[in-house]
Amino acid sequence: MSLLAPAAGILGLTLPVIVALYFLKIRRPTRVVPALHLWPSEIRDRQANVPWQRLRPSWLLFLQLLAAALLVFAALQPALPAGAALARHTILLIDNSASMQATDVKPSRFEEARRQAGSIIDQLGAQDRMTLISVGPAPRILASVTGDQGSLHRALNVLAPSSGSADLSSALSLAAGLVRPGDEARAYLFSDGIVDPLRAEFSNGLPFPIQYQRIGVSGENVALTSLTVRTSAQSRAAYLHLQNFGQQARTVSLEWRADGHLLDVRSVTITGGQGQDLVLPIPTDATSVTAHVANPDLFTLDDTAIAVAKTPRAFRVLLVTPGNVFLEQALRLRSDLQVDVVAPAAYRAGGAYALTVFDRFLPPVLPDGPAMMIDPPAGSSLAGGTPVGIGRVRAADAGDPLLANVDLQDVHVARSEDLRASTFGRPLISSAQTPLVLVRDQPFRQVLVGFDLHESDLPLRVAFPILVENLSEWMLPPSVPSRSFHPDEPVTIVPDSSATAVAVIRPDGARRVLQAGAISSFADTDLPGLYTVEQTISGAVQRSWFSVNLFSDTISRLNPPDRLTLPPTHITSAVTTHPGQLEIWPWVALAALGIVAAEWLVFHRGL
Amino acid sequence: MAVPLLEPAVLRRLEALALQVRRAVSGQMGGERRSVRRGQSVEFADFRSYTPGDDYRLIDWNAYARLDRFMLRLFVAEEELPLSLFVDLSGSMDWGTPNKAETARRLAGAIAYVALNALDRVRLTVFAEGPTSGGAPYRGHRSAGQLFAKLQGFPAGGTTDYARLVWPIGRQRPGMSIVISDGLGEPGIEDALSALQRARQEGAVLQLLAPQELAPDWTGDARLKDAETGVEREFTSTPLTQATYLRALNERTEQVERAAHRRGLRYARLSTADPIDQMVQVTLRRIGLLA
Repeated sequence: MSLLAPAAGILGLTLPVIVALYFLKIRRPTRVVPALHLWPSEIRDRQANVPWQRLRPSWLLFLQLLAAALLVFAALQPALPAGAALARHTILLIDNSASMQATDVKPSRFEEARRQAGSIIDQLGAQDRMTLISVGPAPRILASVTGDQGSLHRALNVLAPSSGSADLSSALSLAAGLVRPGDEARAYLFSDGIVDPLRAEFSNGLPFPIQYQRIGVSGENVALTSLTVRTSAQSRAAYLHLQNFGQQARTVSLEWRADGHLLDVRSVTITGGQGQDLVLPIPTDATSVTAHVANPDLFTLDDTAIAVAKTPRAFRVLLVTPGNVFLEQALRLRSDLQVDVVAPAAYRAGGAYALTVFDRFLPPVLPDGPAMMIDPPAGSSLAGGTPVGIGRVRAADAGDPLLANVDLQDVHVARSEDLRASTFGRPLISSAQTPLVLVRDQPFRQVLVGFDLHESDLPLRVAFPILVENLSEWMLPPSVPSRSFHPDEPVTIVPDSSATAVAVIRPDGARRVLQAGAISSFADTDLPGLYTVEQTISGAVQRSWFSVNLFSDTISRLNPPDRLTLPPTHITSAVTTHPGQLEIWPWVALAALGIVAAEWLVFHRGL
Repeated sequence: MAVPLLEPAVLRRLEALALQVRRAVSGQMGGERRSVRRGQSVEFADFRSYTPGDDYRLIDWNAYARLDRFMLRLFVAEEELPLSLFVDLSGSMDWGTPNKAETARRLAGAIAYVALNALDRVRLTVFAEGPTSGGAPYRGHRSAGQLFAKLQGFPAGGTTDYARLVWPIGRQRPGMSIVISDGLGEPGIEDALSALQRARQEGAVLQLLAPQELAPDWTGDARLKDAETGVEREFTSTPLTQATYLRALNERTEQVERAAHRRGLRYARLSTADPIDQMVQVTLRRIGLLA
């Protein structure tokens, strides 16, 4: 045992003072009573009756001395050596990702992590410093290099579990940034080990050793990992994937609801490690559909899935072409596009179209808005130079999001206009001879394709509908994407140009007002469930929806690994550690309070 | 001007009361009480045969006409009630608010006034260490003023010695005796009450206590001083010690009550906090001393 405040020993002088006070003669007021013999002859020897009399045994004096001794002892701040090895600077990384909400350890993995972290804070010595960092989708420094146990506890207590993944790399970057060269630092990671893969930046190692404290014991979990709604000409159906991540077979009761109304309840048995796909027709007028596993298990966050069933608002698209089946079909694949096809001779400017596609035709004046120009005829304003033979094509920038999932390996072009001299915009698809596809953001998002689609095998490849989809979504982003997002994933909301007010209502009923007339990135999506976007257009409220679901096999797998691959330590000298100290003064003070209460009782009982 | 012992309004209300006597009395002078002797009154008692020497005025001539024998009509004699008041004015009575001795004087005065109004003879004795006579017996309501002055003239003080009451009580003619005391003296009051029984006294014990001794209102350290003996003792008052004291006080009052009832005496415990009207009109009526 050690004493953290030995100077407080001076307070021990109170003990002889109490004894001295006892020796002082009491001055009792005289009271006349009619019959003294009726009064009990007991007298409490709380104080001397004559000055400096011999000290007589007294329960009250004994208890007073004991209480004072305990209070003096508490003031000395006694501490017992505790189990944890602490460095001068200890970094606690507390995983607050979604999987920490699993209840295989009671009350939950997160609470257990918090408890263990709290016990290490209690062991902090007077010279020690500590840093708290949360490891969630967006790691945060909760307390930075402080020795104040109170503020550390407060920071720990306000930490709440999130619904996202654990970005351990960012958390380690934050921790490494707080450790100065020469610091004797050591880190503890309280986690179930279900973290995002570490980035390569830690290949050189960390400036401190890190110890993984595994929280969690079981991976038995049945999860809903996907839910989508597909609409065909005749009907509408929800497609659900149910996965048993555990080792044992499970029979679960699955509830389907549309807009909160129960549609179906069915019992599903899934063997360990297997999945199952389920389809359920849903009413055509339903706004949302919810699937829910009614049997409670270790992890409830993935027991409910919600999908938007309502078709988003349609855009009108004009395709001006002498005839192009491939292009027309590719445009019609997007369910929220309403495509009108006209011949170039029938084209009249000024139609209320959100997107105009000109195929082998170009009007004298381009419409004010998104447009796609394919093989503009020679002599037109956007026409390129003399056509050149091409061959294989390639992406101008392989990482361009407009080419996501577009495989150009087997795509060939016979010939194309020479666009090398074009000032239209940046190249998207190129070749050895000339850029083939150009895109620009100003004054409007527009695309220029330098070759006739019929002179390429591109329309025959899978890449074509994907490319058209990517380009049309870029030019015409849906005002509210109706797909499912992951927790904490930002959602781009493009309000209607005539909307006067825009607001998002979260699943918990909280209302967030967005700026009308500007594209907003809404990132307050930590809560799984259905989000409603309300736009006020001409006084009427127009609603659209998107959903947030966990849908993460990595998180739902739950099984905490015994070992976690963590970056090595690049420091050469060993970090000096010392055992933590468990301060016991609150218990001593509590005992003193009990003694004072006993002293009061003894006094009033007349013992 | 001296404060009157009892206010005129109280005295007026007392005039409506009378002492309740359970058995017939034997007094020296005529009064309003049934006497054990036959005498002159309007209440018929019995007949008896005439013997020479009888007062021929008492011969019932109607009975002679019917029976041809001289018969005498006998009537109940009405005599005075000898009432003795023993008032404790010891040091323990000179205590409390309102003061016990002062209340005892007023209570004795009230009872005496009721008796004097009924032409009863009232003898006053105050006692502390020993009995002190309050002078010749008082008779008639005109003597009430003298009796009140006498009561007010006796100072309170000294130790209580109930044993010294035995002798004056034994001298009483059969009648009524009322003892007004706090009953706290040592040794107890039992011997004096036995003397009352032997003297064929129809009596009552009125135990008078102050509210401060019925519910002590202080705690903490004190030096206790006996009001009579002056003996002092250091003491610490706690809820526990107060409970012990109240238990002892209760035992003492129950002891006095049992002793009174065992000897055929009426008993009432009175608090000086009660007004004199309530003591007389309610409590003393309840125990059957007054009606």
